[in-house]
Amino acid sequence: MKRFSDLAIPYIVWAVIMLFLPVLLLVFYAFTNSGNGMVSFTLTLEHFAKFFTDTDFLQVTGKSIMIAIKTTLLCVFLGYPVAYFIANSDEKTRGILILAITLPMWINMLVRTYAWIGILTEGGIVSRIIKVFTGKDYEVLYTEAAVLIGMVYNFLPFMILQVNTSLCKLDKSLLDAANDLGANAFERFIKVTLPLSVPGIVSGISLVFLPAVSSFFIPKLLGGGQYFLIGNVIENQFITVGEWNFGSAISMIMAVIMMLTMYVVRRAEDKVSGKEETANEKR
Amino acid sequence: MALLAGCGSNGSSDTATQAANASTDSGKYSGQTLHFYNPGEYIGEDVISNFEKKFGCRVLMDNFDSNESMYIKVANGDKYDVIVPSDYMIERLMQEDLLQPLDLSKITCFDKLDKTVLANMEFDAEHKYAVPYFWGSVGIVYDTTKVDEADLEAEGYGIFKNQKYKGDIYLYDSERDSLMMALKYLGYSMNTNDEAELNEAYEFLLEVVNTMEPEIVTDEIIDNMAQGRKALGLLYSGDAAYVLSENENMGFYMPETGTNLWIDAMVIPKNAQNVELAHEWINYISSYEAALDNSVTVGYTSPNVEVFEELSGEGGEYEGISAYVPSRENENDEVFHYDEKARKIIAELWSKIKIAASNV
Repeated sequence: MKRFSDLAIPYIVWAVIMLFLPVLLLVFYAFTNSGNGMVSFTLTLEHFAKFFTDTDFLQVTGKSIMIAIKTTLLCVFLGYPVAYFIANSDEKTRGILILAITLPMWINMLVRTYAWIGILTEGGIVSRIIKVFTGKDYEVLYTEAAVLIGMVYNFLPFMILQVNTSLCKLDKSLLDAANDLGANAFERFIKVTLPLSVPGIVSGISLVFLPAVSSFFIPKLLGGGQYFLIGNVIENQFITVGEWNFGSAISMIMAVIMMLTMYVVRRAEDKVSGKEETANEKR
Repeated sequence: MALLAGCGSNGSSDTATQAANASTDSGKYSGQTLHFYNPGEYIGEDVISNFEKKFGCRVLMDNFDSNESMYIKVANGDKYDVIVPSDYMIERLMQEDLLQPLDLSKITCFDKLDKTVLANMEFDAEHKYAVPYFWGSVGIVYDTTKVDEADLEAEGYGIFKNQKYKGDIYLYDSERDSLMMALKYLGYSMNTNDEAELNEAYEFLLEVVNTMEPEIVTDEIIDNMAQGRKALGLLYSGDAAYVLSENENMGFYMPETGTNLWIDAMVIPKNAQNVELAHEWINYISSYEAALDNSVTVGYTSPNVEVFEELSGEGGEYEGISAYVPSRENENDEVFHYDEKARKIIAELWSKIKIAASNV
């Protein structure tokens, strides 16, 4: 037995170097002010004070969270029916459909987002279609709609796959039982299928919301330089301003916000499934 | 035009001697590698393969999208033999002791280069560190069918606040160039580190962003202006030359209140691995053959006098394209200098402008 646990040592070393140290460095930067290099530094909270006292940064944070929420909701409403359809197909079709969903993900995200520039730009397919219906020239690129399209496009597969997995795991005999007890198709979906797929939705939400809130290249490419989200602020602090300490502090604040969000979502999930259990017990 | 034509005549004999040298040198470098760090889309199609053939070596090129991202890599110890930063960034690298002086006995190309350009290299006035790669200015590209030239003459950069062109303008997503435009409009030096002046420039840009619905873009501005999608944009002269050669309705204007004269130049970092080959590369890039390929492909102005005259002269690739000839006698034109204090303020202000733009 002991032999086997020894095998985990390289993994632990790897995890410490690749995961723990960078985070530690980030925290270090966030709470310090460097003099020259790493030689002299002072502990400080000024970066956090700067962030929370500047309405500009708070506005951008709010905006980033809003667009992430919109992205997540769209992904749930678009992704759930697709996942439901896939889960209810026969095994062979299911494999093909899953492949169709994952196939585009083999291509780099950046490249696929670049493709959207061509689709959304003035004179691109989308604006030509809009012109047919409205007769007006309308450029979608560099608007919030473009950013939203880019985000939903990139993150939707995560939602579909998660929900699909939880739907496939669903015990079919429960559905038969619901039928036998006289539930119609709608009631069966609301009372049995939906509650049992909540874990899938929750992990889907975490896989969509987290990258959406901190995404920086999708708003940069599809929203233009005038569409600035918190991910862009962080990138900007590191690359152009050169304020690594402030950039680290913002990253930390975002990490805390995300952890809190996840905590809230998990709690909500527990409540939903907890209610189910107590309901079952009463019966 | 203060260009000196004196050295054009000996260009051919020079190429000949270089070719002779090359045949003897080619063995010396075989199997060696040159690490070259260059801005994206900034080199001629055959420059690298020709150099490799001539010297029997390999050239590995990495690209960067801004001086700032280049700086982070170089300052953190990434090893390159030759890099091509802009003027102010070379000044910063020099100040921070990240460059090594050129071995001037090995640099044979200075006599082929434009004396005015060399004189403008204030950051390295004695030419100990840098050899120019491309040079140019910044100006307004405008659609002659939509923009009244009288407005340009009268308002200069102020045309970016003219409500007539609301929703029809591009800003370039670079803090230095945007602040330059604002400072020059206000009549200040673009090298100021005076907070009051910088704040005024900030207010100018804030007004543009709040009232003019600009799109803030980077290199997509080039294709978009070439296709005439907007009426006005701030562009580098080299990109403007491309736009003008693609679309005859486009014009290039440098306001009288001044512009940024810039020079991108080749330098050798302190931690370069193959200094010998780096010098060979610098000489080769400055040669007629490579400079011509570079300038024809990219559209930026060559510091090689012979190439410049051929391309801008009669029958040349850029004949009649004003943006290819970006130099003029105007005492308001300046070269950027590096100032740590100003850099920080400018970066902060520009990120505030972008936040303001996204909150409009």
